[in-house]
Amino acid sequence: MKMLLKLAFRNVFRYKKRTIITFSAISYGLGLMAVGISLYNGVNTHAMDNIINNQTAHLKILAAGYFEDKDEVPLEFTIDEPQEIRSLLKDNQNIQGIESRILFQASIISGMDELPCLGVAIEPEVDPLVFKIKDSIKDGRFLEPSESKIILGSGLARDLGLKVGDDCVLRLFLSTEDFIWNALDLEITGIAKTENPMVNRQTVFIPLSLAQEALSLENKVTELAVRIEDRSKLPEVRNSIESRLATLNKDYEVVSFEEYASDFKELMRLRSRIQVLIPLMMILIATLGIVNTMLMAVMERTREIGMLAAMGMRKLEIMLVFVFEGALIGVFGSLTACVIGGLGGWYLETKGFSMSFLGKEMSDMVSFLPMEVFKGDLTVGILIFTLVLGIVISILASLYPAYKAVKLDPIQALRHVG
Amino acid sequence: MSIAKLENIHKVYHIGKIDFPALRGISFSIEEGEFLSIAGPSGSGKTTVLNLLGCLDKPSQGKIFLEDKDVTALPTAKLADVRRKNIGFVFQTFNLIPVLTAMENVEFPLILEGKHDPKERHRLTEKILTQVGLKDFLHRRPNEMSGGQQQRVAVARALVKKPKLVLADEPSANLDSVTGKEILQLMLELNQKTSTTFVFSTHDKMVMDFARRIIRLRDGKIESDQKASTK
Repeated sequence: MKMLLKLAFRNVFRYKKRTIITFSAISYGLGLMAVGISLYNGVNTHAMDNIINNQTAHLKILAAGYFEDKDEVPLEFTIDEPQEIRSLLKDNQNIQGIESRILFQASIISGMDELPCLGVAIEPEVDPLVFKIKDSIKDGRFLEPSESKIILGSGLARDLGLKVGDDCVLRLFLSTEDFIWNALDLEITGIAKTENPMVNRQTVFIPLSLAQEALSLENKVTELAVRIEDRSKLPEVRNSIESRLATLNKDYEVVSFEEYASDFKELMRLRSRIQVLIPLMMILIATLGIVNTMLMAVMERTREIGMLAAMGMRKLEIMLVFVFEGALIGVFGSLTACVIGGLGGWYLETKGFSMSFLGKEMSDMVSFLPMEVFKGDLTVGILIFTLVLGIVISILASLYPAYKAVKLDPIQALRHVG
Repeated sequence: MSIAKLENIHKVYHIGKIDFPALRGISFSIEEGEFLSIAGPSGSGKTTVLNLLGCLDKPSQGKIFLEDKDVTALPTAKLADVRRKNIGFVFQTFNLIPVLTAMENVEFPLILEGKHDPKERHRLTEKILTQVGLKDFLHRRPNEMSGGQQQRVAVARALVKKPKLVLADEPSANLDSVTGKEILQLMLELNQKTSTTFVFSTHDKMVMDFARRIIRLRDGKIESDQKASTK
């Protein structure tokens, strides 16, 4: 066995150019595959995190009927007893925080300019338990409860040329159909730059009490956002919330972030199909490389194979020489692929890459993804997968050439010229 | 005791739709320690005889015995075992493994045989390479040696496992006449020293002269079987 390995090892270096080409095909192909999977993973998890941290929390409690119309941000489906629900769920240890919020259609007016936006009324004292808005304030400070101030998303502030300390007018729409609105003159206390460009471009935050007054929704809210300690307990928490809510007279629905972000999920599912194609192509490249190299080797070494057979080498042993040879190229190739994948994945994980180099217009076009910087998520699993895949491919791809080698008739093989 | 015996051997090759009879009823036996040449013009069946003796091929008709054991009907895997244990080959084109050194090439059949530990293998390998005059070339690879040296390695490789029978198919055909003679001389010396049985094919008169017995073939039949007179 040792001898067969030695033979295979030396034969690998016998045709240096060919080995290098095959080796490169495997290492680049599988390395890029590993980077691709890391990126896909990263986009998936970070996008989800961004959605959870800035938009949906883990669960939302809504009045029945709201979810169906959620894109309209309606005000008629309200939760009339938020405090009651809150105290109902108080003893659930898995819940990290519950925030009462109102989402409303609005626009920001600065001088002659007016931009539509999504208004989010928050409880400043509870919000940091549920969302990460407070952490993303890049200028100014976060809201205090019941002050008449506003936080603007960074994109919105940029487009309107507004900064901390400026005044602006917030127009709150009670009904867009009948064009009923109220207006508040507010000082900007902070600019929020979250990792989610959708939030930055179109969201403003004001204290809940202010919104309740301006929208004539005293003590009412449109949603309760729930953050739980451990995401894996989501189904459990959801069931317990649902059963508690069932004891109330009014109908409520509990919606998870996944359902809320279903459009995004659909998009990712579509992408994942494309993503499957990439590894498949890489596998094909690596397989063809090995098969080709090993077939060439078998052809060139026909007489040598005949001689090995004449010396009484068993068929299995001859096959192993070629399988080992292919496997060796595969092992080296996949190890290098792991290095490439590891470095690339590490870069994407720590630095990520931004779409901003495409310029503002282009980056707005791709900003359907709820993230500005594409970050990878490299796991040991990806590297192990790459390594195992490379080795398995090269062994499988060597089997056919090796089989061709032992099918040779030793007499014919010995007579072979070349 | 006879080392090998062919009994009424016929061999027909099917080339396309044509049947080509390579051997047409050949019988002879080889005694231990012989230095035998199979001679004849090309196409006379020399290589076929060697292939049959070497258990690389099976006859269409007739029987082959190695040390009185009928090997005619053995399955392919068993034939490989017979070759590994009992037969050494020397080829016209040397056929060394290019990625291995002289030492490793000669050691190879011992590894396949699996009988000796590494230390013993190295001892046997060095001994035989010294015998063929390559003491200073142990770690050269085939492409670093001349044709004659390569064929010496091949002879050493054939002999290292002390086979019953060494078969050499035109061992001097790819060498110049002086080197060719040297190889035959070497084989003859080893034959006498180790009393290993040698069978080699040739169509070269000069090479034939080394043989102690010459079987001449023509058109797949034995034309003559003579002991060399007084050598």
